[in-house]
Formats: sequence, structure tokens, C-alpha cells
Amino acid sequence: MRARAFSLAAIVVALALALPGQAQEGHPLSGSWIGAWEGNETHDEFVLVVLDWDGRQIGGMINPGTDNIEITNVELDPEDWSIRIEADTEDSNGRSVDYVIEGSIQDLELPSRYISGTWRSGDGRGDFQIRRQ
Amino acid sequence: MQKGLRITRPGALGATLILLFAGEALAHHPVLGKFDQDTRRTLEGIVTKVDWRNPHAHIFINTDENGETVNWAVEIESPSELHISGWNRESLTPGDAIIVSGMLARDGSQQIWGNSVRRASNSQPLFTLDPNLPRLPLESRPAPRWPDGQIALGAISGASDGYWGYPTKTALIEDGVTVPMSPDGQLADIGDADKVAPMQPWALGLYRHRQERYLQDDPMFLNCKPPGGTRQYQSRLGLQLIEDRERERVFVLLGSGNRNYRIMHLDGRDPVGQPGGDDDNPLYYGRSVGEWDGDTLVVRTVDFNEDFWFTNGGLPHTNQLTLTEQFTRVDYDTLKYEVTIDDPGAYTRPWSASWELSWLGGEALPVHICQENRP
Repeated sequence: MRARAFSLAAIVVALALALPGQAQEGHPLSGSWIGAWEGNETHDEFVLVVLDWDGRQIGGMINPGTDNIEITNVELDPEDWSIRIEADTEDSNGRSVDYVIEGSIQDLELPSRYISGTWRSGDGRGDFQIRRQ
Repeated sequence: MQKGLRITRPGALGATLILLFAGEALAHHPVLGKFDQDTRRTLEGIVTKVDWRNPHAHIFINTDENGETVNWAVEIESPSELHISGWNRESLTPGDAIIVSGMLARDGSQQIWGNSVRRASNSQPLFTLDPNLPRLPLESRPAPRWPDGQIALGAISGASDGYWGYPTKTALIEDGVTVPMSPDGQLADIGDADKVAPMQPWALGLYRHRQERYLQDDPMFLNCKPPGGTRQYQSRLGLQLIEDRERERVFVLLGSGNRNYRIMHLDGRDPVGQPGGDDDNPLYYGRSVGEWDGDTLVVRTVDFNEDFWFTNGGLPHTNQLTLTEQFTRVDYDTLKYEVTIDDPGAYTRPWSASWELSWLGGEALPVHICQENRP
């Protein structure tokens, strides 16, 4: 567990050093986001989300390189900038784990905008907040 | 032939209407982001200092308010643009008495936008921008050509012998669409947002958000980002097209871009380069390749980054943007600029816009260094 957390932290630091200056004024969701999903005992509280807009839909990955949780669906409502992210993975026992993250984009105009909301998966749930890097 | 002068030309009426509509901010600054057009005041005071630096000059004045001396900062246009209209740092000196009318700062600080600045002694207007297009010959002159017959996009005699300015449109909008907006692209009615260009829902939402914030988040002003994309052709500060025919390339030198330049390659190369951009091009201007089609230079540009606004007014773009530009010098004094915007990441279909620029012969390209007056 400690090694995985260290790996994730290393990725976070590397991204923080490497990404400033990239895409800031294009699609508001595109880019790398770092933050926390509080109370997540399966995948730690630190979270890294990479989102990409291909012109039709948003795709991406949660904790790439460590957990590799594939994002299966993203819905964004530009009226209020609310967002819903769905992601699927398996736990260490091979059981399916589905995540639903709901929130909204805050400080839309800033390069360091953030998403604030909640996550839930099975019986687990908690606050969710990630900030764009 | 009579050596008369005229100032009318195709597009002049439209440009004049735009300038009249603006009223508040003649240039390209998101002034309404800082100043409230619904809160105005008139001040009379004594000049204590003139801070003549881009992006905006300031006049500091002392006013007498109920026996107390109060210092106000009067913000006016950029020295670059004021210089074009004949003003300089000596036009006003400490000790002069002036009357200022304008919009007050939204944050309640003692700052006022100088919509009107006049001498108190004789009401003479100060620091006004000349909205007139450059005076042109009564009869059009044919476009100059190189010895091989190719149209010259700039001056044949030398790089500093004139530049292109006074675009007939200063904000990007699809051809055939008419909605009232200020020269910096601020819509008069936010309800017109969906008419400006065929935006995808997210792009329309972001465009509306930028408009609702009076364009105050424009990175060209906040962070001195370059005027990439079509924006460089809609600046009042103009541009030069320098043809390096030996190396088959055209330099675009920008009056508005912190001495930035862009290169359009005409040597048949593909638009490829370093992933993060080249030393002379961090991809604010993309990678441009072009060729002549008769008397029109056609340039295709790809690989833009997403770190800037590519238009006045805040129309969004993505790194999927491809610009196809056509430069046609229809006569000596007129450059027609046509552009097709193809960005499937932000728009529902390709769309086009066009406008004209005027030749300012014998004039030096203005120098505008955004960082001058930054903290």
C-alpha cells in the first residue's frame, strides 16, 4: 500500500512539474486534475484524474499508472457546469467496483479551476475535490 | 489627375458604427471588466503624474472633496494607440488642471476610466482616439508586384516602409451574421451569443461565461499571452508582412504582440516540428504552410496550443483548430483577409470570416510591450 501511495505521489509531483502551461483555455475539463476523494479506503484518498476531450466526448483515467480506473462516461452540463463521471475497475479480489462522481466546476475562468462534489461506490461515499494542474 | 483625398471605402461605415457603439473602450481592452458602465462620475483635479506605459496609461490627479485632497487614478488607452492618434507623454504635464468624466472602478477604489478628459481651462479634449480610417488616395492604385509579377504583400522597397492596420472588423464573427458588439468583442446582448459562430454547447457556455465577466479573464491582458490565431489581424496596432522570397517564407511582425512574430513557410514543407513548439514558435501561432493561388496567398495553420484566446471577445478553440487563411492584396492600399475556422473540438462545422486591412505607407509598426506596466 505504501509503495502504491508513493508511486501515486511521484506521478503527482512529476505532473505538477511538467504540465503547467499546457491547455488552459480550451475545453474546461481537458487536462490533469489532482485532489482527494475523502474516505476512500480502496484506492486511498489522493486521486489523480486525467481527462481528454476528443471533440465528441470526454474520456480519461483515474490514477493512471497505479489503479488505472477507466472512466466510462462523463456528462457535462454547460448551463451550470455540473458534471457526472462514471468509472469502472476491479478490486484486489477481482470484484467489480463502480464509481460515480457528481459535482460541478468551480472557478471556471481560472487555469486552476476545480471540481467539487461527492463520490460514491457501493456503500462507500464521501467528498470529492480535484484541482486542475 | 486631381490629388484629392478621401476617407470612405468599403467597410468604413461598418467600422465607424462599431467604433461609435463602443464609446467606452475604443481599443481592444476588457475595460468593462474593471470599470462599471452604470456608475459614472465627473472629477476636476490637478495632474500630479502621467504614467505613460502600456498596456494602459494613467493620469494621477488630486481632487478637492469637501476640503480634503483625494488622489484619483485616471486610466486611459494604451500609449501605442494614443500615439497613433497624435498624443504623447508631454500632452499633459503635472500641474495642469483637467476635468475627467467616466466609469468608476467596480471594486470601489479611486480609479476612473477616462471616457472624457478635457483641459479645465478651455475644455479642449485630451487623449481621444482618432476613429477615422487612414486617408487613402482618391483613386485606387494597383497592388505592387515583384519583378517576377508576384503580388507583394508588404513594401517592396524595404521592411519598414509601412504596415497593415485599421481592420474593418476587430472581433471575430461568422460572415453574414450581424450582432452589435464592441471593438473588443463584448456583445451588447448576451442573448446573441449563439449567433456569433456555430459553437458546440460547451464552447457556447464558456463563451457566455467570458462575456458575462466582461472579458476580464482575457489572458492576452492578464498574462500578456500572444495574439495567436486570427487575433493578430484584428488589432488596431497592425502588422507587417515581410516576404523572405529567397527562403520562401513570410514573416508576420505584430504591432500588438510584444514584438512577437509568426512565420508562414512557402517552401512545400509539411507543418511539423517539435512537440512542444519550436524556439521561435511555442505554438501560439501554430505551424503555418502556404502557397500562392494566383494573386492570393493561401496559408494552412495547425498545432495551436490552448493557452490563449484566439479572438477578441473570447471565442474558444481547442488544439484541433485548423485555420485556412487567404491573403489578397486587392489594390495597393487594401489587404483582404479571409479565414476558415475548422475546429471540430469547439464548433459544429467549419465557418468563415473576412475583413480588410488598410496600408499605412511610410509608417513604422507600433511597438506595444504588454509587460511594461505589469506588477
